[in-house]
Amino acid sequence: MNEWSLIEQLKQGNQEAFKTIVDSWQNMVYNTAIGIVKNAEDAEDIAQDVFVQVFQSISSFKGDSKFSTWLYRITITKSLDHERRKKRKKRFAFVKSLFGEESELLFHPPDFNHPGIVLDKKEDAVILFKVIDKLPLNQRIAFTLHKIEGLSYQEVGEVMKTTLSSVESLIHRAKINLRKQLEAYFKENE
Amino acid sequence: MKQKKTIEERIEETMNSFDGIQPASPQPWLFTRIQGRLLKMEEKTSWDMVSSFLSKPAVAIASLCLILFLNGFILFQQEKEASVVILPAQYEPPSDSESMIASSSSFDYETLVQP
Repeated sequence: MNEWSLIEQLKQGNQEAFKTIVDSWQNMVYNTAIGIVKNAEDAEDIAQDVFVQVFQSISSFKGDSKFSTWLYRITITKSLDHERRKKRKKRFAFVKSLFGEESELLFHPPDFNHPGIVLDKKEDAVILFKVIDKLPLNQRIAFTLHKIEGLSYQEVGEVMKTTLSSVESLIHRAKINLRKQLEAYFKENE
Repeated sequence: MKQKKTIEERIEETMNSFDGIQPASPQPWLFTRIQGRLLKMEEKTSWDMVSSFLSKPAVAIASLCLILFLNGFILFQQEKEASVVILPAQYEPPSDSESMIASSSSFDYETLVQP
């Protein structure tokens, strides 16, 4: 069954078509979310949210872009919303900690180990994930989509609704900033 | 110089640490959990949806501002109406004698309280 007939069937509320869509795109959605929020449980929650939204708003999908592009956009929006909520909770946890209540996990989350990283590169990847967080938002999203999701610059541009040259520039600047951050990190820690 | 090179090497290694990354997969039965979530949402009554909508901070603050604005607007309107009770057709300018009474009485009062 091709993508368009699946979408048409989902628009008519077909559960089988919905199951096929979830099975086909769940890894892509989950992998994108985990690359942004850096937490397996949160990424799972976001993946559920994304597919619930797909089910509820499939009628608004007109096919102007690829279905996967539409899915990426929903996933990124949900992941960033989740991140904002978490930051708000973190600020609240800080206030609570002033009154002696424990909120250690929110305040100092553990290092993130992406399950798909090659074993001998895990330690380095933990450091890279830490410094990626310090990048400006657009650079972070472009770098994550390219490096973790393996999208081409052209595909990143479609997801971010920007030109190829803008994506090239974003990723170039992201790499420069990451090198600066890493240099500072290693000077401080080694 | 040697340390500088070591740091550069470390940076290069770290920058390449995503090479060969495999996509992460969610726990099995994601579809079942999504169906469960959809069912739970369908069970919500319309009142639940209204209350959850109103309890959103943005909606609550916007509603409060709207109520305050309407309140102020109504008060302003009432004051405006109260100050224009005499219609132009019924309005008669006070005669000179009335003005005199008013001004002299206030003058009298002032002189009365003067020691």
